[in-house]
Amino acid sequence: MAIVHDDAGRRRFLSQAVMGFGMLFGIGTLGLRFVQFLIPSGKEKPLETVLIGAASKIPMGEAVSMDLGGQKLLVLKTDDGVVAFSRRCTDLGCLVSWNKEREQFICPCHQGTFDKTGRNISGPPPRPLDRFMITKRGEQLYVSIQSA
Amino acid sequence: MATQTAHAEQDVKPKSLIDYIQKDLPEHLDWWPYTLGAIPMTLFGILVGTGLLLTFYYVPSTERAYESVDQITHEIYLGWFVRGLHKTSVDLMILFLLFHVIRVFLTRAYQAPGELKWVSGSIVLFVTFAMGFTGYSLVFDNVSYWGMTVVTNMIGTLPVIGMPLLHLLRGGEDVSGVTLLRLYDLHTKLLPVLLGGLVIGHVVIVRLMGFVEVKESRHFHQFYPEHTLKMGMIAVGLLVVIVDLVMIFPPVLGPPANPQEVASDVSPPWYFSAPFMWITLLPGPLALWTLIGASGLFVVYPFLDRALVERGVPMELVNRVVATVAVAAMVALMYLDTQM
Ligand code: FES
Repeated sequence: MAIVHDDAGRRRFLSQAVMGFGMLFGIGTLGLRFVQFLIPSGKEKPLETVLIGAASKIPMGEAVSMDLGGQKLLVLKTDDGVVAFSRRCTDLGCLVSWNKEREQFICPCHQGTFDKTGRNISGPPPRPLDRFMITKRGEQLYVSIQSA
Repeated sequence: MATQTAHAEQDVKPKSLIDYIQKDLPEHLDWWPYTLGAIPMTLFGILVGTGLLLTFYYVPSTERAYESVDQITHEIYLGWFVRGLHKTSVDLMILFLLFHVIRVFLTRAYQAPGELKWVSGSIVLFVTFAMGFTGYSLVFDNVSYWGMTVVTNMIGTLPVIGMPLLHLLRGGEDVSGVTLLRLYDLHTKLLPVLLGGLVIGHVVIVRLMGFVEVKESRHFHQFYPEHTLKMGMIAVGLLVVIVDLVMIFPPVLGPPANPQEVASDVSPPWYFSAPFMWITLLPGPLALWTLIGASGLFVVYPFLDRALVERGVPMELVNRVVATVAVAAMVALMYLDTQM
């Protein structure tokens, strides 16, 4: 096969290709701007320390449900002390509830269960429940959360 | 010169789009399963009409959404009926789309050169599911609120695109009023326009590509008036059935959305209950991946078919087995969902 030196054809092809890419790029970035318009502006939420009450007020073996700045949590008191878990199931974000008899957190959506240390023991949840740090100042308990 | 002759030829045999659409059909289309595609199309028409009516009363805000649906169902004249028509038509549309898919699958009507028919049709199916999801979220009762949470979270677990897509859909970190508004816009603007275009595209492609050849079929079945008449009769019959169904099963409304407490039974509508059970039974990522894999396989099935035929696989038999297994699995999963 002989090589055809069709310079005019090649030049036209090249210029069309460059134009085409330029156009695509332009329209693409424009489209991206519009998508950005739809993307919510995510601000880093500050860590806050919120008072939850006196340790003695929380009944043993019971989980107290609270809603602090959009974060839903369960504060559980066991023999090992007081812990605060996020109610948000680590599977797909339903809310877990505490089952006192079974001493487990149960998620009604796909039957995920967690034990009292928050470990995922059955069902689809891939990891333990999120925990919030609890600090004790005197009798009062404070929990550190990222408020919405 | 060449263009002139082309013009001259066109004068003798003008072939407009109308001619293509009115083209006679092969004889086997006389058989009723071949009208199964026209049924979802009719239902789509009903859905557009009733949907338009519903938008006059529906308010897409977290405070008013549930209330407005309640108003439509219980206060507005014939509101329950319009909502019922809308709801029943979705159920039937998806049901008949599935029948249509099964018919095409069993007769292998997607074979070359009809791959585009199948691919465009499968996109229609997926967009219809998206319409189903966004639509049932709008009711904003407790089941749909948590359904919304679960489905958007599921999208969030996709690699790379998951989180951006989740934020895009929710308009923030959590399910909120913005989310409802976005789903409303998707359901009443973007998706219906897309679906309408896709349906028209699908029908045009089917007409242009022609129907698959059936060996013994030599005669022709007139598109007009025979086939059109038959489709018209089916549409009228369908309307009667829908009206009956709405009368017998008027639309209901669960308790309102409660972000503090998950609904006791979060089972989605029947057409999502099989995948719902699937994600309940399998560990998270695996369930999602198998679902995505299956959908991908579904879209490219015609090409898979061709590759397998070249290796001498009896596809007729394979398809029969695949269809039976898929339907049986779906029914089993749906049954399991009702038991839980
Ligand atoms: S969301 Fe909790 S188990 Fe699925």
